[in-house]
Amino acid sequence: MITIKKNSIAGTLVILAIVFFFGNHQADAKIYGINGPTFSLRAMKGNIIADDGKSILMWGFANASGPRVRFQHPGPTLIVNQGQSVTVNLTNTLPVPVSIVFPGQINVNATGGVSGLLTREAPPGGSISYTFTANEPGTYIYYSGTRPELQVEMGLFGALIVRPSAITTPSGFAGCAYNDTDSCYHREYLYLLSDLDHIIHEQILLNKIDAVDNTVAYPVYWLINGRSGLDSVAKNFAPYLPSQPYSALARMHPGEKVLVRLIGGVRDLHPQHMHGSHHRVIARDGRNLKGPSGEDLSEGLFTTTVAPGQTTDAIFTWTGENIGWDIYGTVPHTCNGIPVNAQNPGSPGFDPGTKEYCPDHGKPLPVALPDQNDLTYGIFYSGSPNIGSPGALPPGEGGLNPTAGLFFMWHSHNEKELTTNNIFPGGMMTWASVEHPSVILPAE
Amino acid sequence: MSKAGFTILFLLMAVFMPGIFSSEAAISVQCPFAIVDDQGNTTNPNVVCKHIAASDGFATMADGRVIYTFGFSDVTNQLPLDQILITAELDGRLSAPVIKVKEGQEVYLTLTTLPMAMRPDLFDPHTIHWHGFPNAATVFDGEPMASIAINPNASLTYYYQVPGPGTYMYHCHVEATEHMQMGMLGNLYVTPTQDGQNLNGFTKFAYNDGDGSTGYTKDYPLQITSVDPEFHDANLNVQPLPFAAMEDTYPLINGRGYPDTVNPSSTLGASPENNFKPSQNLPSLIEAEWGDTLLLRISSLATVRFYTLISPNLPMKVIGKDAILMRGTTNQDLYYETHSVTLGGGQSVDVLIDTSVIGPIASPQTFFLYTSNLNELSNDQEDFGGMMTEVVISP
Repeated sequence: MITIKKNSIAGTLVILAIVFFFGNHQADAKIYGINGPTFSLRAMKGNIIADDGKSILMWGFANASGPRVRFQHPGPTLIVNQGQSVTVNLTNTLPVPVSIVFPGQINVNATGGVSGLLTREAPPGGSISYTFTANEPGTYIYYSGTRPELQVEMGLFGALIVRPSAITTPSGFAGCAYNDTDSCYHREYLYLLSDLDHIIHEQILLNKIDAVDNTVAYPVYWLINGRSGLDSVAKNFAPYLPSQPYSALARMHPGEKVLVRLIGGVRDLHPQHMHGSHHRVIARDGRNLKGPSGEDLSEGLFTTTVAPGQTTDAIFTWTGENIGWDIYGTVPHTCNGIPVNAQNPGSPGFDPGTKEYCPDHGKPLPVALPDQNDLTYGIFYSGSPNIGSPGALPPGEGGLNPTAGLFFMWHSHNEKELTTNNIFPGGMMTWASVEHPSVILPAE
Repeated sequence: MSKAGFTILFLLMAVFMPGIFSSEAAISVQCPFAIVDDQGNTTNPNVVCKHIAASDGFATMADGRVIYTFGFSDVTNQLPLDQILITAELDGRLSAPVIKVKEGQEVYLTLTTLPMAMRPDLFDPHTIHWHGFPNAATVFDGEPMASIAINPNASLTYYYQVPGPGTYMYHCHVEATEHMQMGMLGNLYVTPTQDGQNLNGFTKFAYNDGDGSTGYTKDYPLQITSVDPEFHDANLNVQPLPFAAMEDTYPLINGRGYPDTVNPSSTLGASPENNFKPSQNLPSLIEAEWGDTLLLRISSLATVRFYTLISPNLPMKVIGKDAILMRGTTNQDLYYETHSVTLGGGQSVDVLIDTSVIGPIASPQTFFLYTSNLNELSNDQEDFGGMMTEVVISP
């Protein structure tokens, strides 16, 4: 499989090099989406491009409120505030009836359209309107309630975020997930995990909807935010992914609280593993994990099960505590005022400015690294074990980590899902990067 | 040039120009203290230096089928170092050597990559990924796209300050779908600094619980994995690897299917294919005396699906998940009793079994621990076995 892998990586490298030179960061410390409380969506068809180059027909929800309606997958992330009266107007340009259900919301009213099984539906060429009050903050999914076993596979789903209204974001934080200071965060990222059987999409393309047989469905594509493999780290609205606008690269500084919103789509469970550190699951399905007297019922995990239709909120933090050497290297710096060459660390805890773990300050790397000829280098390796100071790399190696952050893979640990239609690497993988405090990340 | 041509040229060069392939200098073990035993203990009790070799090998499934594997073997304290290229050849183990370390220790873990004996056309590097390591450094994380991987005939020493107690796991992360399906998977767990205290009638504990509530008499690592024999055969036969078609038909515990799981021998898996090197060393037979409290360190590194393990007649108390004591930050105890645990790849649970719940017994009693995905109680085509083991309680 070497040939395939090398070609796949080389091709991706060219694309990624362009992406990285033009900026790879998310646009904001907060998740990109469209703000409510009134939304206009259009059910339409379009295509996505997987990282094996395959173009796949999808059905999806597009934002129809602007002058130009562009297909996208997954559907727009709808962002509202707790307590708002939310209206979602849906027009349907697909040849089949389409609807939207909002799991986790109560008293959803549907007006217009025609009656359906789970909710009222928009017939082909028709429209419908849903209203509800967003009572509880949290992370939710929305998807088509019409023949969902087919339409969700085809891509008719997206995320809904309800922001809390009964809390004032503490100073220094970007926001809070719930009305609870334990849920406040410096950055937040959204991961909508889905699986896809391209045969079904080809049957729809060929107008053979009656040939679709879910009993033999066999996904071979695995997506995060509609993207597969290394495409996941491209920036929001990367031009070469015109209908897959949402990045899945998480960037952070040491010590920051990063809110990770995980949503399962479509069919299978995925054990989502976050390299780098444990995360603490603070909420499921839009409900904070707190007991009746405020007892903390959160769970510390390194791999979280993401089940279809279920949402999970977790806080991830990387501090570098106890690494055992000075992760900021030998470049001149201080930790709580002590210069780098002081072999006696002398200072407990963290430097509040640089977030450095001071007991390891000034300690050299405890082992010698092998000769370059004996190593294979990763594309996200900076050439140095340290944060913020790149090291020497052989020609052609590394290159996608110019700020020398520490990159950690966040991926499905059912490792079969790290492939794209029989090609490794691909599928349900993305990365988080911990950046030196001097690296400017989007507004905090 | 064709692959076969390359291979022949390579072999000719190896025979007639051995100097080119001399690699003694690149195989090295870094340890700041003298190693005193094969466990890697040193003259400093707080420092452990282990040496793991990565190679290929063969394992024998419970139905007798021999499958090609990639795996790790323990070569700690083996000298001279260049001999490892010979002794560890074809010695990949299914269920890698168990790594058991103490919280707070410093670990120097050297990985030496051997060339693939059966696949000289491959020159894959390998890594060790300590799965779940908190506040990891990328250089020692082993995820090859964000790190470094060690090429054949060379060594990389990983450095860790052992984090908090609990059940982690380790595996090679290079070309992860392939190398993990091929078997580079092992148990890794950390014992707490609380060990040695006398709390709640115990001196050994799963976690630093402060009250002895995670105390146990005996502990067993049980790692769930599974094997797709078609994938392994394709690899051996230099065929395109069937990633999309991967379906595991040998569900295993610690690299064995039932009834091999309850075979107490540590030398299974020797076959002509691997020059009769035992490759499946870790039994899963759980033996206790009535009244013992058992700690089962259950982890999954299965590459395709979730598995549910049930203990139908002995209740399990879940006390830890993913190497974290099940307590909220307000010290709320979140332990729970159950008869089943469900794990996807990369998840772990720590469960306690109190053997006294069955009441006094006059003769040994056997209980079963098995997957309740009942179709997985099979060794491939053999409609028997699979992911099952036994708990034997003596009076």
